[in-house]
Amino acid sequence: MSDNESSASDQTEKSVDQESSSPDRDDTPSDSQIDRSTDVAPVRKTRRRPEHKPPPEDQKTPETPPQAETASNPSTEKTDSQGGWGYWGNWGKSLISTATATVATVGQGLSQVIEKAETSLGIPSPEELSAQVEEEEEKSDAKSEADKEEGSHSSGMGGAMGMISSSSMGMLSSLTSVVQSTGKTVISGGLDALEFIGKKTMDVIAEGDPGFKKTKGLMNRNSTLSQVLREAKEQEEQQTADSVTSETQKKAHYGMLFDEFQGLSHLEALEILSRESDTKVKSVLTTLSGEELVKLREELEEIKEPFSLTEFEDEVEDDTRGDDGEEFIKELTDVLESLLISTSADKLCKARKNAFSRITYMKSQPEEEEKEQETPPIKCNVEDAHLSAITSLAEFTARSIEQFHKTAEILLHCNTDEATDAERAKILSQVTVIMCKEISVLCKKFTSGLTAIGANEKGEVLNPLITSVFLEASNSASYIQDAFQLLMPVLEVSHIQRTVESAQA
Amino acid sequence: MTTAPYNYSYIFKYIIIGDMGVGKSCLLHQFTEKKFMADCPHTIGVEFGTRIIEVSGQKVKLQIWDTAGQERFRAVTRSYYRGAAGALMVYDITRRSTYNHLSSWLTDARNLTNPNTVIILIGNKADLEAQRDVTYEEAKQFAEENGLLFLEASAKTGENVEDAFLEAAKKIYQNIQDGSLDLNAAESGVQHKPTAPQGGRLSSDAQPPKEGCSC
Repeated sequence: MSDNESSASDQTEKSVDQESSSPDRDDTPSDSQIDRSTDVAPVRKTRRRPEHKPPPEDQKTPETPPQAETASNPSTEKTDSQGGWGYWGNWGKSLISTATATVATVGQGLSQVIEKAETSLGIPSPEELSAQVEEEEEKSDAKSEADKEEGSHSSGMGGAMGMISSSSMGMLSSLTSVVQSTGKTVISGGLDALEFIGKKTMDVIAEGDPGFKKTKGLMNRNSTLSQVLREAKEQEEQQTADSVTSETQKKAHYGMLFDEFQGLSHLEALEILSRESDTKVKSVLTTLSGEELVKLREELEEIKEPFSLTEFEDEVEDDTRGDDGEEFIKELTDVLESLLISTSADKLCKARKNAFSRITYMKSQPEEEEKEQETPPIKCNVEDAHLSAITSLAEFTARSIEQFHKTAEILLHCNTDEATDAERAKILSQVTVIMCKEISVLCKKFTSGLTAIGANEKGEVLNPLITSVFLEASNSASYIQDAFQLLMPVLEVSHIQRTVESAQA
Repeated sequence: MTTAPYNYSYIFKYIIIGDMGVGKSCLLHQFTEKKFMADCPHTIGVEFGTRIIEVSGQKVKLQIWDTAGQERFRAVTRSYYRGAAGALMVYDITRRSTYNHLSSWLTDARNLTNPNTVIILIGNKADLEAQRDVTYEEAKQFAEENGLLFLEASAKTGENVEDAFLEAAKKIYQNIQDGSLDLNAAESGVQHKPTAPQGGRLSSDAQPPKEGCSC
C-alpha cells in the first residue's frame, strides 16, 4: 500500500504541476495560502477521481464492501475519522492498483488537511482568491517571459482553482463518502475539516446546491451519472416551482441548464451504449480461451491504458489564451481530425463561442481590465454575470458530452483501419484534457469578471456566486471525465469488431 | 435563459423511427421550434428534443429521441428504443419504399419496447399531394391491422404535426388513467412527478425506481 501511495502522489504531482505550476504556489504571499497549497496536491486528486474508476468489470467490487462494511478492519494510521478511513483503506485493497492509489491518496490527503486545518483555520474568501489569481496571473505572465521552459506561464488560476475546488469539491467528496460509510456522526466529529472548507462554502453546498448531491452520488456507484444529475436537476426544478420569489427566479441552476442543452440526454444515451458494449466485451471474453484470450486481453489492456490518470499527459499550460477560445477550437479540431472518423466539433466550438460572447458582454473593457484592477463600467449585475458563467459551463459541458456520445456512435458502426482503437483511446484522452483545460479557462475568465463586476458588492452576495462558479466548473470537469470513461467499452467493442472482421476477410 | 415553468407532472419518452429522408428530424424541429428546416443534415445516431405539452389539463414533458434513419446506424439506434412510452413511425407518402419498410420498423419497435408503448404511424410530406405514392386508405388499413394510431402530416406546412405528438400523448395518458400502463414498471417510459409543490425532497425519493435500470 505504501508503494501505491508513493506512486499515487507521483501521479498527483505530475497532474498538479501540469495545471498549476508549483513556483506560483510557492510564491503565494499569505501563510494560510501556503499551508493550503501544500495540502492541495493530494486532496485535489479527488476531483479527478472519475479517472480512477475501475474498469467496468471491476465495478462490482466497490459496490460490495458497503454491505460488508462492518467487517472492515479499523487498522489505520490515521487518527481522525478512523472508521471512515479504515473502511476505505480496506476496500481499497480489493481494487485495481490505480483505484487503490486513489483511496490511499485520498486518505492521506484528508488527514493532512485536517492536521493543517487544526493549525491554520483561516480560509481566504473566494473573492480574495480571485483577486490573488489576478495578481498571480500578472506575476506568471512576467515570469513566463523570463522562463518559458518551466511551465511558469501555467495559470496561477490552476492553483487557486485547485484550492477552492479541493476545499469544496475534493473535501466534500471525501467527506460525503465517509458519511455514507459511517453515518452522520463523522460530520460532527470531522468538524475540523468542515471548518476548513469554510462556512460560506458549506452554506452554499448544504442549502440544496446540487453539487452536494452530485458529489455524494458520484461516490455512490449504485447509480449512473445521468441518474445522479437528473436527480439534482429535478431537485432544482422542484425548488424553482416551490418558490416564486423574484430572488430564485434569477438564480442560475446548473442542472436545469445542463438538461436544457440536452446534456442529460446525451449522457444517458452514451451510458446505454457504454453498458451494452461492456456486456458484449464480457460475453466475447467468455467465449475465448487459451492463446486467443490472452492476446485479446493484452490488446484490450492497451486500449484501457489511456483511461487511467497516468496517461493524462497535459501539454504545457498556456496562459496566453484569449477570451475567444480560438486556441481551444484549433486544438480540438486538430486532435479530433487525428481520430480519423468523421466527427465535427461544430456544436462544441459554438458553445465556446457563446461563452466568449457572454464574457465580452460581461467585460466592457476586456484589455484594460487585466492590467488595472479598476472596475469597468458596470454593464450587468452580479446575478447576470453569474448566470452567464453557469450557463456557459453547462452548455460547454453538455456539448462536450455530446461530442463523446457522437464519437461513440460513429465508432460503433464504422470501422476504418486507419487508426487503431488504442490510438483512438489516447487521442480521446487528449480531447478530455483539452476540454477540461478549457473549463478551467472559462472558470477563470468568469470569476475574474465576476470579481470585477461585484467589486462594490457585499461579500455575502458575491462570495457564494464565485464559489458556485468554481464548484460547477469543478463538477463540469468531473462529468466530462466520467463521460470519457464511458468510451472505454465502446473502443473495446470497436476493436473486437475489427478483429473479427479482419479474421473473416 | 428561460424562465419557463418547470412544473410538469409527467415525462414521456418518445422515439421517432423510419427510413432515411422521410423527415423525422424535420417533424421534430417543426414540433419543438415551429419552423421548417429545409436543408436538414443526416442525423448521426440520435438527436434530442423536448417540449412541454398539455394533456387533459396535465403538463407533460416530452423527451424525444430522434433516431438516425440510415441503415448503418441501425445497430446503434436499436439501443435507444428501450423505455419509450411512445414511438412515431414515419414514412414518406411520396416514396413507396419507405412505406414498404414499415414492417421491419414495426418489428423493431415491438421487440425493443414494452407492450404498452403507443405507436403512431405518420405519413409525412402530405403537402406533396401531386407526388403521392402511398394512398391514405392503404396506410390507414395497415395501421388498423397493426393497432397503430395514424395520421398524415407535413413537417413543411406544420399540418398535423402537433396532433401527431399530442395524439400519442393522449393515448399514453389514457393508458395511465385506465391502469394498463404501470408507472412503476421498469421502462414504462413515463415518469410521474407529484404536481403539488410540497417542498422537500420529493423527487429524490420518488424518482429512482422509475429510472432506467442502472445495472
